[in-house]
Amino acid sequence: MNIIVAGAGEVGVHLAKMLSKENHNIVVVDQKEEVLENLNSNYDLMTVIGSPTSVSTLKDAGCSSSTDLFIAVTPEESRNLTACILAAKLGVKKTVARVENPEYLHSDQKAFFQQLGIDSLICPEILAAKEIADSLVRPWVRQWHEFNNGTLILIGVKIREGANIVGKELMSLFTHNESCRIAAIKRGKDTIIPGGRDIIQTEDMVYFVTTKDYIDTVRKMAGKPYTEVHKVMIMGGSRIAMLTAEKIAEKFDVKILEVSKERSEMVKERLRSKAMVILGDGRDIDLLHDEGIEQVEAYIALTGNSETNILSCLAAKRFQVQRTVAEVENNDYIPLAEGLDIGIVINKKLIAAGHIYQMMLDADVSNMKCLTFADAEVAEFVVREGAKITKSKVMDLRLPENVSIGGLTRGNKGIIVYGNTQILPGDRVVLFCPSEYLNKVEKFFK
Amino acid sequence: MSKSLFNIRVIFKFLGYLLILEAVLMVACSGIDYFFKDHTQLVFLKAAAITFGAGLILALIGLHAKRDIGKHESFVMVTMVWVLFSMFGALPFYLSGYFNSFTDAFFESMSGFTTTGSSVLVDVEVLSRGILFWRSLIQWLGGMGIILLSLAVMPLLKMGNFQLLTAEVPGPVYDKIHPRVTVAARRLWYLYVGLTITLALLLRFGGMSFFDSVCHSLTTMATGGFSTKNASIAHWDSAYIESVTIVFMFLAGTSFVFLFRVLSGKFNKIRHNEEFKAYFYIVVVSALVLSTALFFFADLPLAKAIRTGLFQVVAIITTTGYTTADFSVWIPGIRYLLIITMLFGAMSGSTSGNIKIGRIILYAKISYNELKRDVHPNAVLPVLFNGKTMPATLIYGLFGFLFFYILLMILSVGIFFAMGLNMEDSLGVFLTSFGNIGPGLGNHFSNFFDLPDIAKWYSGFLMLVGRLEIYTVFLLFSRSFWRN
Repeated sequence: MNIIVAGAGEVGVHLAKMLSKENHNIVVVDQKEEVLENLNSNYDLMTVIGSPTSVSTLKDAGCSSSTDLFIAVTPEESRNLTACILAAKLGVKKTVARVENPEYLHSDQKAFFQQLGIDSLICPEILAAKEIADSLVRPWVRQWHEFNNGTLILIGVKIREGANIVGKELMSLFTHNESCRIAAIKRGKDTIIPGGRDIIQTEDMVYFVTTKDYIDTVRKMAGKPYTEVHKVMIMGGSRIAMLTAEKIAEKFDVKILEVSKERSEMVKERLRSKAMVILGDGRDIDLLHDEGIEQVEAYIALTGNSETNILSCLAAKRFQVQRTVAEVENNDYIPLAEGLDIGIVINKKLIAAGHIYQMMLDADVSNMKCLTFADAEVAEFVVREGAKITKSKVMDLRLPENVSIGGLTRGNKGIIVYGNTQILPGDRVVLFCPSEYLNKVEKFFK
Repeated sequence: MSKSLFNIRVIFKFLGYLLILEAVLMVACSGIDYFFKDHTQLVFLKAAAITFGAGLILALIGLHAKRDIGKHESFVMVTMVWVLFSMFGALPFYLSGYFNSFTDAFFESMSGFTTTGSSVLVDVEVLSRGILFWRSLIQWLGGMGIILLSLAVMPLLKMGNFQLLTAEVPGPVYDKIHPRVTVAARRLWYLYVGLTITLALLLRFGGMSFFDSVCHSLTTMATGGFSTKNASIAHWDSAYIESVTIVFMFLAGTSFVFLFRVLSGKFNKIRHNEEFKAYFYIVVVSALVLSTALFFFADLPLAKAIRTGLFQVVAIITTTGYTTADFSVWIPGIRYLLIITMLFGAMSGSTSGNIKIGRIILYAKISYNELKRDVHPNAVLPVLFNGKTMPATLIYGLFGFLFFYILLMILSVGIFFAMGLNMEDSLGVFLTSFGNIGPGLGNHFSNFFDLPDIAKWYSGFLMLVGRLEIYTVFLLFSRSFWRN
């Protein structure tokens, strides 16, 4: 695909890097020379220096009817909209603009934007709020990803001491097991695609593949107690906080802590009965105490300051809060925050980039799609008639070591793959492998 | 799993694959030799077998290599590819028996791949067709670059690492014509192949034999300069052949990215490209001066003076190094004019060697800016190139290049002098080796057979350093490169 990314901010750069690893022709447009220079010399893509809202720059970047996708992700929403309108005028097939204002996303606006030439709008804050809301439904899940329209689910769980899968060979757990499979294990910095003899240790991040019906089995296996979230405390009355509160107010009791008086009044005015707004600093332990932090199941730190968010989540963990969520906008802190055991780290930019990437995957009609998860390649293949993989049962296929088939979707049903499974043409297979094995794996599907 | 600094296996894999490719080309040469019923088919098959064996071993060692290629790997790979290609490329020469020693064969091979075109042979007309074709072919491969070729044809490099390319493509700035390196490389190769075929046909029209026209078009487009005749282009003494060659040498000296743009209809690029304009004017002015000098001081008739002057200027500036006259016998003043042209080189991103006009323009602009700054200390004086401000890092890089160049020149002239060459010869061998030109000065005008062995190896090293523009090779000698 020919793709133009306008804006080399964090979203744009992240997206361009991800896309350039696949077979796409990427052109990045921005005015910031240094950022582009770095991209240009380290990645397989082209850069054009200039304003994304200038017609001549867009032409230089190759905006024409042969461009499949135009992604405008500069920091300013008005420029993104303008750039998309111009690009559409130049013949680009599909445009995506990043916006801040959730109003634009209302369904009744859709036709209007379409008419302007803007096919999709994404609002990172809404996406972030959605991700937070989803994470509260199952507080034991660290990572959640759906494949093939949700028929297969990838669940990442941190394994704690006492879980009954610790210390056992996977063979004994998963032979003839139709409910789930372990696709990958992240141990410290290493990613392991496990075989039958591998053993799970405490503190491992384990990635299960399962179907909708067996989510609870996975939970039990991972040794997580069944808990429901009732009370949620949010620190910081930011826009994401309000969007999140609006989303979850029906199900949970929401308390928002906000330092500024004006802001807190504004938040209250907008949320009304949906949330209780407390004027005060979330780092103040006494205040947290008074507001009943001990009874809270989820603590969400969404101030504009990444350090504050991380620190206050750590404080909340001391009060045995089960689910902690911190917004970390400073990319350098993300691995740090994950290392500190903060449950979910929210980064608007990465979420936006990931969302656009997923949109592209969904639009991709080729028989192989892949994305990177925990440093391993997760590939979705559509099995063709006569492919090598259909010739025998999975255990007799002699797949390379380090390659693990997680599951497949047949018709509309997710199936967990184990040794005895026979793969049929038309199945959509999800498999895991280190990136250098991808070529070898592809041969099985030809 | 500790992450080591190097992914050595991927280097082996890469080198192995490329050597196998080289072996295939040797087999092709054997076929050509067979076609002309010459006697060196076996030589090529033997060389191919050895090369293939070595390639296979390397490829097997690197069979399960991870595919990530970083900066370190890139630089090692690029330098090693050139060294190994020249080593194994010397095999057919060595095995053929035309060369006295492996040193000579290696010199010829390195001179070929780096498109220098200096030779240790006194008589090339006795060589078999296969060997003659191999000489032309290695120049042609080296002209556009082995890495660029491998990016274009080998799926192994699907990762398309851009570092590899910048380590090989000449000139201070590389311009992308397509977002994907592999596609860009393929386009440039199409253009290169297209021009080569066109030139071969035009030369065939001019009365060259089919074999000669192909060989000459290969070495012309590569700005290499190996000929199939002892007298080089002068052998035909044809105004038509000379003018066709002049035009194509000139084209080979322009940036291929620029040529590609112009050919795809962007004619206004010609007016806006400073380097091209400078290249054009330098060629015209130098040719005028040389022709005038030849007319007045060397007593050549006017037409002959213009022909020779223009041909020789273009041949030297583009670092092709064909000759239509023995300029070692010209009077010193005229020879000096040629030394000046030996310092330039043609455009960045062309197949030519040497410093490149782009760098010269930048040096001139920076130096002139400094003059102005003395009078107006607070003046804003950006260095503009093709209308764009050049970043400071690029300018530092340029001066690093200049420093290394001068250092190399002083050391090398001293080294050759110590080996018993006279001053003019020493300078000549340095300029021609580093600039990948071909002919030297003085006693080493057209061939280098009587250089001491050690001087041949050193000269070969200079050719490599010149072809890869100093940094790629020198980096491997720096401590910070190897330290984790």
